[in-house]
Amino acid sequence: MTNQLTAEILAEICKHAEPDGNPITLETKLTDLGIHPLEMADILFDLETKYGIQIETDITEAWSDLQNVGSVVEAVRALNEH
Amino acid sequence: MNKRVVITGIGGICGLGSCAADIWAAMCDGRSAIGVLSGPSLHDITARTGCAIRNLPQHEIERKQVLSMDRFSVLAVLAAREAVQQAGLTASDKNRYRLGATVGVGVCGWEAIEQDYRAMLLHGRKRTGAFTAPKVMPGAAAGHVSMDLGLRGPVYGVTSACSSSNHAIASAVDQIRWGRADVMVAGGADAPLVWGVVKSWEAMRVLSPDTCRPFSANRQGAVLGEGAGMIVLESYDHARARGAEILAELAGAGLSADAFDIAAQTIEGPEAAIRACLADAGLVPEEVDYLNAHGTGTKPNDQIETAAIKRAFGDHAYRMSVSSTKSMHAHCLGASGALELIACVMAIRHGIVPPTANYDEPDPDCDLDVTPNVARERKVKVTLSNSFAFAGTNAVLAIKAA
Repeated sequence: MTNQLTAEILAEICKHAEPDGNPITLETKLTDLGIHPLEMADILFDLETKYGIQIETDITEAWSDLQNVGSVVEAVRALNEH
Repeated sequence: MNKRVVITGIGGICGLGSCAADIWAAMCDGRSAIGVLSGPSLHDITARTGCAIRNLPQHEIERKQVLSMDRFSVLAVLAAREAVQQAGLTASDKNRYRLGATVGVGVCGWEAIEQDYRAMLLHGRKRTGAFTAPKVMPGAAAGHVSMDLGLRGPVYGVTSACSSSNHAIASAVDQIRWGRADVMVAGGADAPLVWGVVKSWEAMRVLSPDTCRPFSANRQGAVLGEGAGMIVLESYDHARARGAEILAELAGAGLSADAFDIAAQTIEGPEAAIRACLADAGLVPEEVDYLNAHGTGTKPNDQIETAAIKRAFGDHAYRMSVSSTKSMHAHCLGASGALELIACVMAIRHGIVPPTANYDEPDPDCDLDVTPNVARERKVKVTLSNSFAFAGTNAVLAIKAA
């Protein structure tokens, strides 16, 4: 489901990523984005602020739960709908 | 413990230039890089005299690493790369646990601290950057140098305000003398030209409104600068075995404390450090040709330092050359001693004493040969480099021709 939320999150992630030539899609693994784990913390914080949600406080937990770009979108969407 | 320690590489970056050769050339010309500070990080500050690095050179530090670096760490890595390149040294799986780094940092990562406070207190942001904690710690520079160069031996930060560089270098010498490392990349870095730090120096009323004029009767105070200096130290045997060019010998270090006051100096503390340095290096005062002074350009420092030099050297104080290169690169705090080591090593190699720039009027209390304004040709076999600091922590290094 491509909607505004997906586009916004993709845009946010693209700002930080340095992928190896491949376009970033919902299937792109977070570990392939060339993003430092602490930078991911920054991205999640920004999404939380923007949508007024609380994704996950522990960054290692967040990494194991969030496998690819799509899972970030789903996490935000689920919390956003509450 | 008597292992000889030599210098095989040197690197630096400050307002005078982006490599040791450029910094040395400017020093020889007596060219001061002190000017009017500008830039967004200074906000409404009125104390605008300083010595900034106008443009950071192009570097290829990985984006992911740069994100986690405050400016002082970037400067440390650039200077360390230059030094290691000159030394012709590469860390490999065979040697990397024998290579270490110590970086002196007198302040810490105020760039990130200030950005966060401004974002939160002025702009309502709810959190700091996720990198702030590891970015701002004074030990970060040493860590980044180790990551950039693949050094896995003894690696740590050293801090003692304005003498941080010299303490870091002295500590690195010890690692080699004790056999814990064959090579140490050592020096200092600081990037204090941010609003809060400049304000705090302004509050002490020690900053000069025009420029830095060490030992000159019309001096008006110190000037802050930013930069980094790094050297490659290694045991003489290690350098010889790999056929490295030896630039000079780091002959000894002398450390002392005033144990007196957080801001005021004593004569006895610096004097003791100079004497301890000569003893550690096995030198007598008469062997010293050039002394790079701490020379901040404040009246108390210049007069107390002159008195301490006279006590430690006796009559020879008047026969050796003295100068303060802070007149040109300003006081780069934790980086100062390492940048001044460029002057000391190059003076030996080129037979030139760099001058004290901006010198106008003799001060009867500072009557040594401070090499006013113009470099002097002189055979230099031994140099000393003084660093003193707030908290009264004194560190003096001795450098000898190889």
